Amino acid sequence: MACSAFDGQLVRYDFELQKLMEQFVRVRVVQGNALDLSLFQFDTDLTFAAFFLNADRTVYGRFGTRSEQKRADKDITLEGFREALAGALELHRNYPANKSALLGKQPLPVKFKTPEQYPGLAGKFTATLDFSTNKVARSCIHCHQVGEAQRRLFRADSQSIPDDVLYPWPVPDVIGLSLDPKAKAKVASVAAGSAALNAGFKTGDELVSLEGQPLLSIADVQWVLHHAKDPATLKAAVRRDGRPLELTLQLGKSWRQKSDISWRSTTWDLRRMALGGLVLKELDEAARSQLALPDTALALRVYHVGEYGDHAVAKKAGFKKQDIVVSCDDLTQRMSESDLLHHLLQKRMPGSRVPVTVLRGNEKLTLELPLQ
Amino acid sequence: MFRRLLPLAVGLFLAANNLLAAQTRDQMVLTDRDNVLGGGKWIYNDFTKGLDEAARTGKPLLVVLRCVP
Repeated sequence: MACSAFDGQLVRYDFELQKLMEQFVRVRVVQGNALDLSLFQFDTDLTFAAFFLNADRTVYGRFGTRSEQKRADKDITLEGFREALAGALELHRNYPANKSALLGKQPLPVKFKTPEQYPGLAGKFTATLDFSTNKVARSCIHCHQVGEAQRRLFRADSQSIPDDVLYPWPVPDVIGLSLDPKAKAKVASVAAGSAALNAGFKTGDELVSLEGQPLLSIADVQWVLHHAKDPATLKAAVRRDGRPLELTLQLGKSWRQKSDISWRSTTWDLRRMALGGLVLKELDEAARSQLALPDTALALRVYHVGEYGDHAVAKKAGFKKQDIVVSCDDLTQRMSESDLLHHLLQKRMPGSRVPVTVLRGNEKLTLELPLQ
Repeated sequence: MFRRLLPLAVGLFLAANNLLAAQTRDQMVLTDRDNVLGGGKWIYNDFTKGLDEAARTGKPLLVVLRCVP
């Protein structure tokens, strides 16, 4: 089920959701324009996100997760949404007695209260959509533009983009926890050698709270991870076979860097900044073997070369589709596109030029990639 | 002659294609608005109205942020 199908069922009011939904005042917002960022803090790469709130603007929880481009049902389901709705109603019934437990879920102060106040968006959009035919889509600030505007601030000031901005809203898989999208926060599997395994998590555990925050969804887990330090120690309250249990997660230095950001819309803009508009994908093992490239060596195939404007910088520098990057900025160890973006966006500022060696057929060429 | 006209034809094709894509995106937003307003179950694009309604009724709020096109 794609996001649009999921959303369509809500709009049409899926009968199974009806009893739960009718207990809420329901608001649908389809624009980033004038969105109150001092309240609505969420993963801006999502095309569907939900908030459960009190009328006094207290946040009960969030819903909406994505970890890849195509399969939305991997991360969100109607069953999971129903669980979140029911959980939000319970928190509402217990409010304000539970207010202190909800403190950690509340939004943090922001520099820009609405998207159109960001320098990159100011003057280009108004607070309302233009619903005239052929204009409405262009008049809309898309949520991902907020994430892009935030990163451009660092770039404009020639600052490194920090990990928490480069790897926003880490999915629990980054710490080794795969959660069941049909539940609030139930462990589907625990990855070998992960922080979650070391903490003692087991398949079937119900994650009740994290850092004292009651959890309604995977997005609520992401909220805690998004704001966690580097390194971090997180306290988890778990229910295992009906019994309560306390576990402690130790997240090592640079733990966010395990995130895959290749699926994100905002990564398109990072590729403009760091890769001149190239999209890179890791070579599969068969191709590596054919080219006699060791397992430990950098080998990223140019999957796409940008054609227009600032996305055509790599094209103008001589890069071609199917080139294989084997060295970049003197780095030759195996890494993903996300790893390479991380290096270039933290170590190299706009205006610098990095040497890149590519394999093209039987040739080995060294090109110069200008950063933006 | 053909060589001179080819870039123009390609340009016109791309422009028409872009126009069609833009219309489709606009149409998606307009259709979504019509469906939501027609259904009468959601407050559309007015969070303040939702807050007022929640304060009046004592109900919690469900706010869906949706990038339609």
